[in-house]
Amino acid sequence: MPPRVTAVVCAAIPVLALTLGVVLANWLEPRILGLPFVLAWIVAWVLLTPAFMWVAYRSRTS
Amino acid sequence: MNAAVALGIVALVVVGTVLFGLRGVRGVVMDPQEYIVGGRRMGALLLWLLLAGEIYTTFTFLGAAGWAYGKGAPAYYILCYGTIAYVISFFLAPAIHRIARERGMLTGPDFFTDRYGSRPLGALVALLGFLMLVPYVTLQLTGLQILLQIAGFGTINPLAAVAIGFFVVAIFTFVTGLRGAAFASIIKDALVLLGVMFAGLVLPAHFFGSPAGALDAVLRDHPNWLTIAGPSAPNGITWVVTTTILTACGFFMWPQSMAAIYSARNEDTLRRNAIFLPFYQVMLLLVFFAGFTALEVIPGLQGAAADQSFMLVVQKYYPAWVVGGVAAAGTLAALIPASAQLLAAASIVGKNVFADYGLVRDAAAETRTTRILVLVVALLAFAFWALARTTLVGLLLIGYNGITQLFPGVVLGVMSRRPPAIAVGSGIVAGLIVLVYFAAMQQGQVAGINTGLVALAVNAAVLGVVAAVPRRGSVGAMRDEGPSTSSG
Repeated sequence: MPPRVTAVVCAAIPVLALTLGVVLANWLEPRILGLPFVLAWIVAWVLLTPAFMWVAYRSRTS
Repeated sequence: MNAAVALGIVALVVVGTVLFGLRGVRGVVMDPQEYIVGGRRMGALLLWLLLAGEIYTTFTFLGAAGWAYGKGAPAYYILCYGTIAYVISFFLAPAIHRIARERGMLTGPDFFTDRYGSRPLGALVALLGFLMLVPYVTLQLTGLQILLQIAGFGTINPLAAVAIGFFVVAIFTFVTGLRGAAFASIIKDALVLLGVMFAGLVLPAHFFGSPAGALDAVLRDHPNWLTIAGPSAPNGITWVVTTTILTACGFFMWPQSMAAIYSARNEDTLRRNAIFLPFYQVMLLLVFFAGFTALEVIPGLQGAAADQSFMLVVQKYYPAWVVGGVAAAGTLAALIPASAQLLAAASIVGKNVFADYGLVRDAAAETRTTRILVLVVALLAFAFWALARTTLVGLLLIGYNGITQLFPGVVLGVMSRRPPAIAVGSGIVAGLIVLVYFAAMQQGQVAGINTGLVALAVNAAVLGVVAAVPRRGSVGAMRDEGPSTSSG
């Protein structure tokens, strides 16, 4: 993929996960480390976002 | 005795932080460049702290816990929108920075003045930003009042305490400008992190064994509290998603956020910031734990009182020095962002109304005017706090909804082909009319959708329609009005 496209795709994934993804993940069970599933989903994606953006960053500079 | 210990700690921390901030600007000569955008050479670390310092305010410290306490799962949106805002900023902020540097922009509204070649558009954006910042500063004052009241154990006059605290900040901002605020953020962030770890980990462990134990307790009493309600429910899933999108778009539209973007050393600094800032968001999870714990320990707080949630728990169950320490962290979370917000509100009116319309003569006079305006905004916000604090929540929502109306103009402004100023201006005005209508109807959501997003859609539609209308002579008129013509 061209670098620009890679960057946009990497950015779009966490954005979708934290908008539409929340709609689909809006469940209490299974609870993960005590967190309701929806909250665990959100926290996981917040933590994953830097990884996706790092790939986006590398694809632009390399 | 309790009050003396707790308030003493708060005062000590505030004074110490102010002195530290003053050290950071020792020997720096203040011209508008230096005062408003820190000389445009803030490195990654200082900028990270500045951005985080402006983002993690009283709202995070008390408001997010208050929402977890008062509303439950809808509070999760706060975790989502900041993260999405950073993703947007990864693309948008470097572009804004590059243009701002090339064209020597100082303020958020400068971007509109220059990119659309229209001084009136810049002035409109400046006045909008100014108006939306007053309730935001007032929010910090309300947080300050809650913290000082709790640290005072009911012995002090909150009006006097807030007045003193706030004028310390106004004078601090008056003297140091942006760089001082960034240095002060270092101490603020360290203390807020400690305060939040205490509230989010120690409190739930104390009462329920662990944060998960606190969540179990919440679920026993309120089985639906930790999941988001259905699509048409008030603050349901539709509201959460639309509010996430709206506020993510608005996040970097605040004048102080634009100034922070300008103040970066280079574009790469901003990209690296955007990558790592989401880690800061995780702190909010702990704030939610604090709110959920408070819900079980001291249930029954209604409305705005929910904002006091975990601070009341600390006051009731912990020694005065702990109360003082946590309140000191919260006080900095109110004062430092308030200082950046004061500076932003003052600088946009000083630059885009006074200087651009020739009301001040030179750079020295502009810095002087900006400094005086800092005090004017402080007085306005203080008056607003003293007179109208009951309607604050409604006004704050209008604040965020209002500032987001700048989003289309900023995004299109980084493009090489841009719509005419009249289209951007019409869109902003149309969006504001929609917001005022919904505010008058006291309606925050339509079929579950956040009304701010409805206004943003109307804004974009009007912008598109006006831009598509062919005009004769308008290009010449734009050139006459603008202080400079831009080439994209």
